[in-house]
Amino acid sequence: MLIGIDVGGTFTDGVLYHDHKILRSMKSPTESDNLQASVLAVLDELLKDTRGSDIARVVLSTTLVTNLLATGGGDKVALILIPGPGLNLRQLRFFNFAYIVEGATDFRGRITEPLNKSQIERAGEEIVAAGIDKVAIAGKFSPRNSSHERETKQILLSRHPHLQIITGFEVSGQLNFLRRTVTTYYTAVTKNTWASFATNVQAAIRARGIDAAIDILKADGGTMPLPVSLQYPCETIFSGPAASTMGAYALTLDEKTSVVIDIGGTTTDLALILEGEPLHSSRGALIGGLHSNVRSFATRALALGGDSAVRWQEGKLTIGPDRLGPAACFGGPVATPTDAINLLKQGKLGPLPPSQQALEKIARPAGLTVAELAQQTIDQAIAQLLASINDMFTAWEQEPAYKIWELIHRRPVTADRVIGIGAAAAAFMPLIAAKLGCRSFVHTYSPIANALGAAVSRPTLSLLLHADTKRRHYHLNIDGITGSCNSNWRLTDAKEEARNQLRKIAQQRGIGHYANQYEFFREEQFNMIRGWSTTGKLYDVGIQIAPGVIDGFKGVQP
Amino acid sequence: MNPKTYNRPLYQPAAPYDQTGLVFFPAFDWAISPTHPEREERLLYTRDQIFEEGIMDLPQIRQYQPRLAELKDIARVHFCVPNVAAQASEAHRIAAGGALVIADAVLSDEIKNGFALVRPPGHHAMRVAHGNRGFCNINNEAIMVEYVRQKYGLRRVAIIDTDVHHGDGTQDIYWHDPDVLFISFHQDGRTLYPGTGFMNETGGPLAQGTTINVPLPPGTTDEGIFYVLDNLVLPILDEFQPELIVNSAGQDNHYSDPLANMSFSARGYAILNEKLAPDIAVLEGGYSIETALPYVNLGIIMAMAGLDYSNLYEPDYRQNRFKENRNRMQQLEKIVQQQYHLFQRRHQLTAQGRPTGEPFYQRQRHIYYDTDQIREQQLETLRICPRCPGYLMIDSEAAGPQGRIKVHCISIPQQACSGCQRAARDHYAKMRRRPPEACAYSYLQDRPRDTYQQYDYHRQREQTL
Ligand SMILES: [Zn+2]
Ligand SMILES: [Zn+2]
Repeated sequence: MLIGIDVGGTFTDGVLYHDHKILRSMKSPTESDNLQASVLAVLDELLKDTRGSDIARVVLSTTLVTNLLATGGGDKVALILIPGPGLNLRQLRFFNFAYIVEGATDFRGRITEPLNKSQIERAGEEIVAAGIDKVAIAGKFSPRNSSHERETKQILLSRHPHLQIITGFEVSGQLNFLRRTVTTYYTAVTKNTWASFATNVQAAIRARGIDAAIDILKADGGTMPLPVSLQYPCETIFSGPAASTMGAYALTLDEKTSVVIDIGGTTTDLALILEGEPLHSSRGALIGGLHSNVRSFATRALALGGDSAVRWQEGKLTIGPDRLGPAACFGGPVATPTDAINLLKQGKLGPLPPSQQALEKIARPAGLTVAELAQQTIDQAIAQLLASINDMFTAWEQEPAYKIWELIHRRPVTADRVIGIGAAAAAFMPLIAAKLGCRSFVHTYSPIANALGAAVSRPTLSLLLHADTKRRHYHLNIDGITGSCNSNWRLTDAKEEARNQLRKIAQQRGIGHYANQYEFFREEQFNMIRGWSTTGKLYDVGIQIAPGVIDGFKGVQP
Repeated sequence: MNPKTYNRPLYQPAAPYDQTGLVFFPAFDWAISPTHPEREERLLYTRDQIFEEGIMDLPQIRQYQPRLAELKDIARVHFCVPNVAAQASEAHRIAAGGALVIADAVLSDEIKNGFALVRPPGHHAMRVAHGNRGFCNINNEAIMVEYVRQKYGLRRVAIIDTDVHHGDGTQDIYWHDPDVLFISFHQDGRTLYPGTGFMNETGGPLAQGTTINVPLPPGTTDEGIFYVLDNLVLPILDEFQPELIVNSAGQDNHYSDPLANMSFSARGYAILNEKLAPDIAVLEGGYSIETALPYVNLGIIMAMAGLDYSNLYEPDYRQNRFKENRNRMQQLEKIVQQQYHLFQRRHQLTAQGRPTGEPFYQRQRHIYYDTDQIREQQLETLRICPRCPGYLMIDSEAAGPQGRIKVHCISIPQQACSGCQRAARDHYAKMRRRPPEACAYSYLQDRPRDTYQQYDYHRQREQTL
């Protein structure tokens, strides 16, 4: 039996799943100042008729790190940057304790300027004097050569052994210094808070007799074992939308192109599944308005939900962005889009009179009939959703391509289907599908699809290998792994090495049984020509265990 | 010569119309040949640098996707022999299309300016295109300029060619057009391909002084180029008042370029673009792919976006490594003085250039296509019209490895008077009925009607774009 728990901003959802059936599901309000209690409340409810020893897997998706970052919580961190030539980072005003140190590395991993050690020593003194004990170090092109970052760390530790230091090359090996800086910094900020939460939850789960694997859902829709998450706390952000998307994926499991629409009380989250594959954002998740290296789904959030407050203001109808409570038909104070649907469907969702009365309060001063107002509310909400959906498709079609082949083989995508997730989905989906000219899909378990998505998502792992045969070495984007390569390496050798490394890392992380489910997503090679002859080759190989469902999962019986 | 100091923080959100557009299309699957300078690897390190810099995440930058230029967009500028598809592969159409995307965004006020960082380049491609010259098949800037003139009704455009090689293709296309100011500064043609771009190349008889060449002595530094900018290019732009300024942005003036001998730096390029403030920059040449391009491209983007570039430098750059010498400065002063004088007398020269009573002006030319080893003979015939820049006829005969071909081309400029328009169309109709000897195709480039016709004498078939 599997357990999936998704701690959202408003509700915590959980499912107990076994053999294509959902044995139990649970929805309870989230205690925002005690997420652990929220997890355990749902867990205990799910375990009511089940022994802990029967549980084979627990997967958690939580907003802990997202909240921490949104509220500016976490630990105080000093940042040491080794930017070399380029943007003038003295204007980078978004971190308080930032030191810029001289030293430079270029795109081939060549050291072009030595480190300025005395600057680092001085920064170390100041950091310690300010009472800060966590440091994030990020150097430009550190994925191509991490020696400046490592040396900086050594210099700091030799004088101040108590410092906790995170280096950029360990956190992310993708090219983007700004994103790496952001990710490294916030990893340092959240690491301890996440670790204490994760270890407490683990202890509580173990105390309930569950000795199964505990996995954490990531923003990319895959899971990682809890011990691995201690190193990558930022990967847990935006796992809520990832859970919903994976839930939609798990409930359909086909090759269609779908728009996943998760309509909550206050907001609606949108995601795309293109020909059966959930679409990732090419830019990395936003943390505090800044792009990070965290791979996440290309999701979009609208301040529009089933419980958004409907108002008539200055001759115009407005919906949201706030929620004053549940819909009037469920005891709430004001009219909502849910009430509008309830009215037009003659009380199909809940008692009709409260919806009618709430709408009437707005309709009369606006000079509309109640039915007209309800219709306008629906039309406006649907129009807003459609605009966002079209926007997403356009953004996908305009994703940059860098090869002629990619550009000319691109074709426009259209939705085959909308998949409704969340409690309010059922009422809205047919209306949206009609406008898009596609089918509508709402499963019995749509309201808790997020928790199901968490329970059945498989681990993911994505590796990028960059090899430079002239410099005779390669590096990976994970954990700063490097190795040497032969000067006559071919693309097949680079791919073979990437595959071996994937297997090795998967084994180390305890997800070795998924190591064979890899796919190559990038295979690039460039000849280095100097003076009219080939002097070496550059390879970029991408290999991944893509988001998917665990072995043996074939869907859920309604 | 100090860069401006900026107060704008890196992450301050930019209003959309305050953004700089960027099309980055390195064409990683296209090369002229595996070891050619124009190969897959050319923008690889530039990619690494701008990706690692994270510059596309900044709110000041908006990235666009290129599109394929339409065949018609190309026929608006070129007489492609035998047809557009034969000269413009997908790679060429995407490079030109990248410039069109940026032009649309600038002219619809989506962005304040934009850079089409695309390859293959185009500024050596002339009006008649038989093959590849100087790594170019079709002229990306001219295709863009004619597109915006047609679509947005622009008339006066300035193209400043900052590539180290003379922009002979662009010069050829705008030779007879008094409304397009073409200024090229480049390494002296006596010492570098294509061997043209001398001071006495000043435009056709009805467009005198809107073609301005500035041959620079080898070794010219940042200081020398700024001198030309400050004392020639900017004052001329001030007087010409173009509606659009285009930088035909080659990067081979760089001190490390393997194909030329100048001493320009990456920061020099940034300052150049800040001074010039082009609405649109389009990448041309530049073959120092590791030492120059990553830094020069970054510098251009930063300058156009108003980002502080004071921390931008090549790893091997040392301040005062290149100093302008007195001798070169004196040469530059003379050139600048003479060419500024040329520009100021342009109306007078053009009036003198209208030979009295002669209805047509003719010139003979020989054009060599280095890449494709084609030799072309041209006879240009321009109608000398008292009311407009006149229509143009070109008899072109090319011989190369593919054989020999002869074509007849007629071009009606946008500004042509109704009399010239009628005469040119009648002439094409006549040519269709009675082919000149051994002529394979006749072409009519009718810009006022925006239709482009081609008549195939062998198949007796007409194609219209
Ligand atoms: Zn050039
Ligand atoms: Zn005329």
